[in-house]
Amino acid sequence: MLLDLHGLDRAWSEPERLGQALLAAARARQVEAQVALAHSRVAALVLARVRPGLTIVPAGAEAACLAPLPLALLELEPEQLALLRRWGLATFGDLAALPAPGLAERLGPAGPRLRRLARGEDGQPLVPTPAPEAFESTLELDWPVDGLEPLSFLLARASEPLSERLKARGRRAAALSLELRLVDGAFHRRSLKLAAPSGEPRTWRTLLLLDLETHPPHDAVGAITIRAEPTPARDVQFSLLDPAQPSPEALAETLGRLHDWTAAGRAGSPALVDSHRPGAFVVASFVPGRPARPAAANPRPALRAFRPPLPAQVALRAERPVFVAAPGVRGAVLDCAGPWRASGDWWDTAWSREEWDVAVASGVYRIFRDRLRDEWFLEGELD
Amino acid sequence: MSTASLKLELESLLRERRLHADGPPLRGVRRLSPLSTGIAAIDDLLGGGLPRGQLSEVHGSASSGRTGLALALAARTTQAGALAAWVDPADRLDPASAAATGVDLTRLFWLRGDGRSLAKAASAVATLLGSGLFETLVLDLVGLPASELQRLPAATWIRLQRMAEGQSAALLLLAASHVARGPGGVSLTLAAKGPLWSGAGPGRLLCGLDAEAHASRLAKAALELRL
Repeated sequence: MLLDLHGLDRAWSEPERLGQALLAAARARQVEAQVALAHSRVAALVLARVRPGLTIVPAGAEAACLAPLPLALLELEPEQLALLRRWGLATFGDLAALPAPGLAERLGPAGPRLRRLARGEDGQPLVPTPAPEAFESTLELDWPVDGLEPLSFLLARASEPLSERLKARGRRAAALSLELRLVDGAFHRRSLKLAAPSGEPRTWRTLLLLDLETHPPHDAVGAITIRAEPTPARDVQFSLLDPAQPSPEALAETLGRLHDWTAAGRAGSPALVDSHRPGAFVVASFVPGRPARPAAANPRPALRAFRPPLPAQVALRAERPVFVAAPGVRGAVLDCAGPWRASGDWWDTAWSREEWDVAVASGVYRIFRDRLRDEWFLEGELD
Repeated sequence: MSTASLKLELESLLRERRLHADGPPLRGVRRLSPLSTGIAAIDDLLGGGLPRGQLSEVHGSASSGRTGLALALAARTTQAGALAAWVDPADRLDPASAAATGVDLTRLFWLRGDGRSLAKAASAVATLLGSGLFETLVLDLVGLPASELQRLPAATWIRLQRMAEGQSAALLLLAASHVARGPGGVSLTLAAKGPLWSGAGPGRLLCGLDAEAHASRLAKAALELRL
C-alpha cells in the first residue's frame, strides 16, 4: 500500500512518530505490517518489502539504502534480469554505478530508467487514479405512486439534480437507466440509449415516459433511481454562413418518439458501404453532420429496389432478354441495355451477376442473372 | 396611377389573396418562398417549387420519374444544409440512387417499413412534422397494396395538412395515383413516355426517362420532363 504523506509534516513533525502510528494502526487491525518512509516511491516500496518493522530513509540516502539489495526486488522483465546477471550485476548498487549513456546504448530508453530506479529516483510523480464517479439520483417516495402522470412529476424531480451534477463536470448523458422499486419488492428496470448526448432533464423525462408508456411497471412504484452514463459535453461552433443546425435535444426527443422504428434498426441515415456488391449499405444512427460543400444536384432515374430481389423468368433470344415474367411484371421486352457484368468477394461470399435494363410495356426495370446459380431476378423498377 | 385606381387594384389583389411578388413583405406576415425541387423545368411549372406548409403529391405510372423527382428535391434540401425525411413503408428506397442524385445521406432520415402498416408510417410522418426539424418530408406510397391505402382513414390527410400549415416544411406524397393534397398544395401528374437510351451496341446505356408533367390547380401546359 502506497501512501502519499506530503503535507502531513505539520501534524507529524517527526517521521519516527508517524511511522510508529502507522504500525500501531495496522496492529490494531490484526495486520502484520512493514513500514518504510522515504522521499521516493521506489525506495519506500522496496524497503518496506525487505525490512521488518519501521524503516526511515533520510532525504538523499535512497541510493545508499538500496545499494546492497538484490536486483530481483526491482520489478524487471525476466529477460532484463537475466541479461543484468550475465553482466555480473547482482545488487541495486551494481546497476546504479553503471554509466547512463552506456546503459542507453545497450538497453535503449529502458537502461537509464532502470538506473534511476536502482538509485531510488522516481521516474514520474505519483498520480492517484480517482474512482469513477457514479452519476445517479434516487428518490424514495413517501407513499407508492401508480400511473404515469404522477410518475412524470417525480421523474422531473429525480432528473434535475442529476443534470446539475453532470453539467458541473462538463458532461452529458449518453444513456439513461431507470430503476423503479415496486411495492411487491420487484424492480422494473429500463435502459435508454440516447440518439444524441443530452443534459436536459425535460428531454430525459419525455424519453423515459415514452418508454414507460410501452413498457409500464406492473405495480405501484416506491422508489425511483435514475443513472446516467456520462459523456463529455460537445462543444459546438456555430457559423454565420451555415444554416441553423437542429437542437440535439429536439432531435433526441423526436427519435425517442420513433423508438419503435429506431429500436428495430429500421430508422436512421443510409450509408453506402465501400464495396462493389450491389445494394451494399447500412443504416447508421441519424446524426446530421456539418453541411458538406454544396454540389449540383444530379436528377436521374432512381431504382426502386425490391428487397429481396424477386425471382423472375426471362426468355432469351440471341443471348438478349425478350420476355420477362416476375410478380407484378410481365411482358415482352421492348428495348434493353446490357449485359453489365460484375463480380466480387471471391475470398468470402462470392457473387457474380449480369445486369440488364429492360423496358416492357408497364415500365423500365433492372433485372440480373446470378451467374453462380444461373437464376434470374428482378432487382427493381427505374423511376 | 390615381389613388382611386390604386385602391381598386389593391382591393382586387386582396380578394384574390395575391399581392405583387415584388412588393415589400407585409408587417407581421411570414412569406415563405417555395421549396425548389432541384429541377428547373418543374420549378417553372410550379411557380418556383413546392409550396411550404402544404401537403402536395406527385403521382404517375411506373417509370414516370416520380422517385427521381422526389430524390432531386431531397438532394436540393440536404445540399442546402437542411434535413429531409423519407418515410418508406414498402422499403423501396435505394441509397445508391439517392447518393448518385446528390442527396447528402447524413442529412436524410430514412424510415423503412415492412409494407404492412401504413398507419404507423402516417403516424411517424406526423411526429416528424411536429418536430419542425425537417424541411422536406416524403411519404412514399408507391407499391403499397390498394387495400392498405383504403384502410387508412381519409381524415389522416386532413390531419397532416393541418400539422403542416404554418411550418416551413413541404410534405410530399409519392403515389401511383391521386391520393390527397392540401388547399395550397400541388398535385403533379407524371405520365411516362418511355426510356431514353444512349449509344448503341454493347455500350448502350439507359440515360433517362421521358415523361409529361402536368400540375393541377395551376393554369400551365404540360411539359416534357427528362430525367
